[in-house]
Amino acid sequence: MSTLAAMPPKSAPQHGDALKAYCQISAILSVLIVALILSTLILQSGPVLSLKNSGMFSTHWNPDAGQYGMMPMVFGSVFVMIIAAIVAFPIGLMTAIYISETRSSKLRRFIKSVLELLTGIPSIVYGLIGVAYLNIWVAEAFDLQSGRIILTAGILLGIMILPTFLTLTEDAISTVPARFRENAKALGLYRHEIFKLTILPQAKSGIAGAGLLAIGRALGETMAVMLVIGSLDRLPSPLFNPLSSGQTITSKLGREVGESAFGSAHFSALVFMSLILVSITIVLTIISQYFLSRKNTYV
Amino acid sequence: MFKNYSLGALTLCLTACTAPEAVNISGSSTVLPAISLAADTFTSETGTSVIVNAGGSGSGFNQLAEGQTDIGMMSRDITISEFEKFPDIEFKSIAIGRDAVVPTISSEVYEAGVTALSLSQIADIYAGRVDNWSSFGGPDRAIFAIDKEASRGTRQIFMGVVMGSPKAAAPGADLVTGSNNEEQTALTQSDSAIGMLSFAWLNKDVRGLSVIMPDGQTIEPSLENIKNGSFPFVRDLTLVTRETIEPAAQDFVDYLLGPKGQMAVETSGYIKVSE
Repeated sequence: MSTLAAMPPKSAPQHGDALKAYCQISAILSVLIVALILSTLILQSGPVLSLKNSGMFSTHWNPDAGQYGMMPMVFGSVFVMIIAAIVAFPIGLMTAIYISETRSSKLRRFIKSVLELLTGIPSIVYGLIGVAYLNIWVAEAFDLQSGRIILTAGILLGIMILPTFLTLTEDAISTVPARFRENAKALGLYRHEIFKLTILPQAKSGIAGAGLLAIGRALGETMAVMLVIGSLDRLPSPLFNPLSSGQTITSKLGREVGESAFGSAHFSALVFMSLILVSITIVLTIISQYFLSRKNTYV
Repeated sequence: MFKNYSLGALTLCLTACTAPEAVNISGSSTVLPAISLAADTFTSETGTSVIVNAGGSGSGFNQLAEGQTDIGMMSRDITISEFEKFPDIEFKSIAIGRDAVVPTISSEVYEAGVTALSLSQIADIYAGRVDNWSSFGGPDRAIFAIDKEASRGTRQIFMGVVMGSPKAAAPGADLVTGSNNEEQTALTQSDSAIGMLSFAWLNKDVRGLSVIMPDGQTIEPSLENIKNGSFPFVRDLTLVTRETIEPAAQDFVDYLLGPKGQMAVETSGYIKVSE
């Protein structure tokens, strides 16, 4: 950059071209990387898909016997994601309303920047806190033998996605133009009525986008979940019992990818599970982009 | 000025990246303490850096076979299916010490009177046939059975003896852990757990069970019983290399078999290979 700035201004157009080419190459590269990852996932999924009796939709995972039942992992991922959403969304929404509607902008910036710091904390740190404290608290609260259960993973993930959800939601609320607020005030509405009747409808799609983006993050999280979920390849019984141990796609990958030989059916089964995960995340991201970019056309 | 700095930084980076003769090792978390101890003294004596990572025996073998490391640490034998995965490579196993897998229980249960179990009683727990400590004269608490990842050496030795097959399913398990470290934490945090640990990882919070043999004899998990082989879960700690080995890695293997390396094995709580 410094050499660029030191150049005489007359050669600027040339640099403009170079810069343009550089930007184009970068853009193409990043698209290529995504394409490469996706095609690798699809190609490497081949062996397990062509395998007869792989029992993919069963609940038995035993690579040595050629059984690759993925249902416990897929179910675990979705279940943990739902719990995380239940934990994070109400708190996130309430906090966002509080800091955007009632606080001074100085305090608001402070609270927001502290929360954004939370997104920078590596997930393994959350995992260690989960192992050291959260899992013991949960075990005591529900009088369980062990707190390494689906609920613990869900709560931990809820805490992890809270900042993402909160800042985006807060952005959605505070970017509603001031004139709506002023007009509503002029009509003599109370503060809660202003929020409920004019601000919330405006911010709705932004909040939905924030939620989907946060859920996407919850799905992809590995280390923290792996340490607290218990890693049992079993469906909970009864099915929606959050107090039993489980397994998510990511925790399964984290635990087993090192021992599976590249190109084997075992490896391929793991890759296929990541393909499922990536597909869900891509769909979530696309929908959230749609919500986040949608302009408010009504009112 | 800026150019000089960046050039200097680049050179520094390149030298660091291409540092000569680093020995890469990964695998069993059971073997790891002895190896990293020996690696410290080896590095300070020879200047060759040694990079040691955990990951489990299965992962140690794979990384070696795929050429990512020079030496794999294993706390079990290489399985036939592992050999079959890499038919073109010749592997060499070198025993560097001896260890035992010990059925381990939470200290609370141990102190309440459960100090010995027979192999079939342990099998009952992992098969899910018995789920309360009172069946074995312990407190009236549900048994929290801890299993390990299928590829782990400790698990394969343990299940091989208890259930008759290293890869036997354990429907009675309530939790699956990875390394000795993780398993030890889970055992410590529970007051009613049973699990499996390498001998060197026992302490006052996680107690080793004596094993009642089919002939009625009770065998304690002591150094003595591991040395003479009467404890049923004794195993070799091995290093695995490819047939063609880097000279630096060979030096390190020789060092481990020498007096200083064997001392590290003993300090870590294992038994020297010579005994």
